[in-house]
Amino acid sequence: MPDVCPYLEYRQLGDETQSGDATDSRPRAYCNAAEEFVQAMRADVCNDRYGLDHEADCEIFREAAGPPEGVEGEGAGGD
Amino acid sequence: MAYDDYLDGEKVIITAALTGGVHGKEANPNLPETPEEIGKAAAACEEAGAAVVHLHARRDSGERSFDRDRFQAITEAVRSRTNLVVQHSTGGTGATLEARRQSLRTDPPPEMASLDMGPLNRYRHLTSENTRGMVDSLYDEMADRGIKPELEVFNDGHLNEVRGLLDRRDLADPVYATLIFGGGTTSPPSPRNLLNATENLPEGALFNTLGFGRHQLPLTTMGILLGGHVRVGLEDNVYYGPNELAESNAQLVARTAGLAETLGREPAAPDEAREILGL
Repeated sequence: MPDVCPYLEYRQLGDETQSGDATDSRPRAYCNAAEEFVQAMRADVCNDRYGLDHEADCEIFREAAGPPEGVEGEGAGGD
Repeated sequence: MAYDDYLDGEKVIITAALTGGVHGKEANPNLPETPEEIGKAAAACEEAGAAVVHLHARRDSGERSFDRDRFQAITEAVRSRTNLVVQHSTGGTGATLEARRQSLRTDPPPEMASLDMGPLNRYRHLTSENTRGMVDSLYDEMADRGIKPELEVFNDGHLNEVRGLLDRRDLADPVYATLIFGGGTTSPPSPRNLLNATENLPEGALFNTLGFGRHQLPLTTMGILLGGHVRVGLEDNVYYGPNELAESNAQLVARTAGLAETLGREPAAPDEAREILGL
């Protein structure tokens, strides 16, 4: 299992900020599953910080990855 | 606090929540993240009428930081430019209690710090736990360091938790509670729910109104009319109008200050806020 989400990469946000601060050009978390930049709080899940786990905690990853092998869907195989 | 306080023209404390921990420049490129950006934004907000600044810390990438040194850099950037009351966040969905303590350990300590009154859910599987044990632990460290808690009430059940905290601990008057309205586990945003919440506050408590997104403008305006204080900023709302991103935190503060003045309440200066809050 990877240490971080396999859909995570770091990209330049773009040049639309008004502050002109040098850190505007720092790479930021980007989700290749959602095809958008990642909110600050969600990036903790992407990086599995603080005991968070992208496989368990991220709905975007779960939707993109599909159900685990042998499971047809949530609630399947009821008793 | 009540309508009589409005009629009496009591000054209104405007808190500027500049940055937050949930979203960043991907939501609004004008949201400040670095110490330098936050310091400049705080100065502009003071100029626009804010008295208190609510601070979170970020890494250079814009991701959340709970690092004490990062909070130190931010608080120095703000203190060097402003006389604002400095309020640090101790919130931190998914983060450990030890991480959340770090913002209390700057030198000097913040004059105020947020204290979440109970759990709230985010996304699929994230909860900001805020057990009573965690609340007490954070409060005790604040008390040891002379930091006034800003009690964050995310829903009406948290008003019960405020009373519980008052039973367990000896909070200095005045108790200061922020009433929060939005989606998820926050109180449903409506004028009636704000009114009900104010009527369920402990006797003598001051309140601050916080509405997420498009609820920021109407509910803070109502908070002013009800004699309360208000919080605005890009942490809670990245828009100025429908489909119009805010240009800055100061733009949101300036609108609120103008509304307060129009409604007959002057924005409190930072030292006036210190007096009102008993700092």
